[in-house]
Amino acid sequence: MSLSDSLQKLASYRVNNSRASQDVFKKGEALLKAGKAPRDEEGWAFLEQLALAAIDLDRLEVAEICLQKLADKFPGSPRVDVLTGIRMEATQGITPVLEYYNELLLQDPTNAAAWKRRISVLRRARSVDKATEELIEYLDTFYTDPEGWLELADIYVSNRQYTSALQALSHALVLNPQNPFTFVQFAETAYSASDLPLALKMFLLAIDMIERDLDSPESTPPTGLAFRTWWGIKLSTRHLLEGGPSSPSNTSAPKNLKALDVLATERILSAYKGKELEYQRRLVEGWVVRK
Amino acid sequence: MAPGATISSTAYYKLYFHAAKHPHQPVNGVLLGQQVGNVVKVEDVIPLLHHWTSLSPMMEIGLDLAGQHADESGLKVVGYYQARTNVSDVGLGPVGEEILQRLQEKFKDAFGLVIDGEDFGTDKAALIPWIYIAESSQWKVAPGSEAFTPGSAYQLASIDLPTSAKDYVKQGLHQAFGDFDDHLEDVSIDWLRNRTCIPFEA
Repeated sequence: MSLSDSLQKLASYRVNNSRASQDVFKKGEALLKAGKAPRDEEGWAFLEQLALAAIDLDRLEVAEICLQKLADKFPGSPRVDVLTGIRMEATQGITPVLEYYNELLLQDPTNAAAWKRRISVLRRARSVDKATEELIEYLDTFYTDPEGWLELADIYVSNRQYTSALQALSHALVLNPQNPFTFVQFAETAYSASDLPLALKMFLLAIDMIERDLDSPESTPPTGLAFRTWWGIKLSTRHLLEGGPSSPSNTSAPKNLKALDVLATERILSAYKGKELEYQRRLVEGWVVRK
Repeated sequence: MAPGATISSTAYYKLYFHAAKHPHQPVNGVLLGQQVGNVVKVEDVIPLLHHWTSLSPMMEIGLDLAGQHADESGLKVVGYYQARTNVSDVGLGPVGEEILQRLQEKFKDAFGLVIDGEDFGTDKAALIPWIYIAESSQWKVAPGSEAFTPGSAYQLASIDLPTSAKDYVKQGLHQAFGDFDDHLEDVSIDWLRNRTCIPFEA
């Protein structure tokens, strides 16, 4: 891979917030060693990204090189302080790490990143109640942080508190109304909460967002998130047709359930084409016609 | 008394690859096998999720399809495995327990295996078995000598499996491994069999 390809890949990982630590480390370390690390504005984001990947892979000596360069360039920077904290988390116990973040927050209560680190350390240390309490407090102060709301939802679902998770996700949706992933996450959470009409409604909103511009759906089988969403639609309509519990959110089911069921079945099966997928298709066909 | 279990090399490699492919995420899946006398022989594994592992719709579909595949292969769904995000957390958690409860409806002695993040990557099996204690209506770590060591009711097909699994991961075999979540993104991923990445000797 050429130099500029590597740089582009690293940049796209940053944009997408991907934690592809092995690839990032491989490319980043090579660039650093060859003296080809970016020198402009991008250079600092590159160093931070490489430091994080290095910590993930227990290559702490590389993380420290990056940290040193960042600290030299940006003395007293809250962002570098937090990165230093993350480096500490790799080798130190919970107590000194929490003390470090507490110190940072005392000096600067607006250091949102430090607060979030503290919350994640509390969660990791299994002080989930404390982590939740603090996260709620954090979101009261820093409302426009979708990542925070998603984290809160995640804490709730892992404890099967689906209604609270839906509340958290509805805030994430308000902040990210164009993101189909959040709609699908909401739909799947509603399904987990046994609110089928709400789940179906959100799956349909998501599929509309994702496939709205499809020119000829008949010849374009669903892929990626759309495929997953059609499965969600199929599952929800199937159960609704069987008759189920009423919706806790008082959402009414759409009138054309049978037609939706047929459409979802069609969309899903259209993806299973060709000899390679024969076995899978057979199983899926068996599943979709089951009553 | 709960039956013991043996884990075949195919089953072990698959759950190992699943965990190795998603080091910072939780993963889960089901165990396929059959009961022979007082031993559950785990012959295969179907990997399910590594994303939104506490949410149920895709889990439900994945479980259904895995069950159908088990039927076709003459096997039963005999258990569930997971790896948690937190390296030192070897509990089933509320979601793991709920899944196991559902599996028990079809297989009375369904048991859980939680991957131990601390031991993963060493020569130890790094698997903690969980069983249901009817008297107290609770899931507990299987009593007795340390699982997957000599004398335990839980055995790997070979004690070398963890070491060879790690070697295969170093060679990158696990990169070709796919679970149901992967299949939902790319239908060509053969999550039910994963034949391309299981070493021939398995």
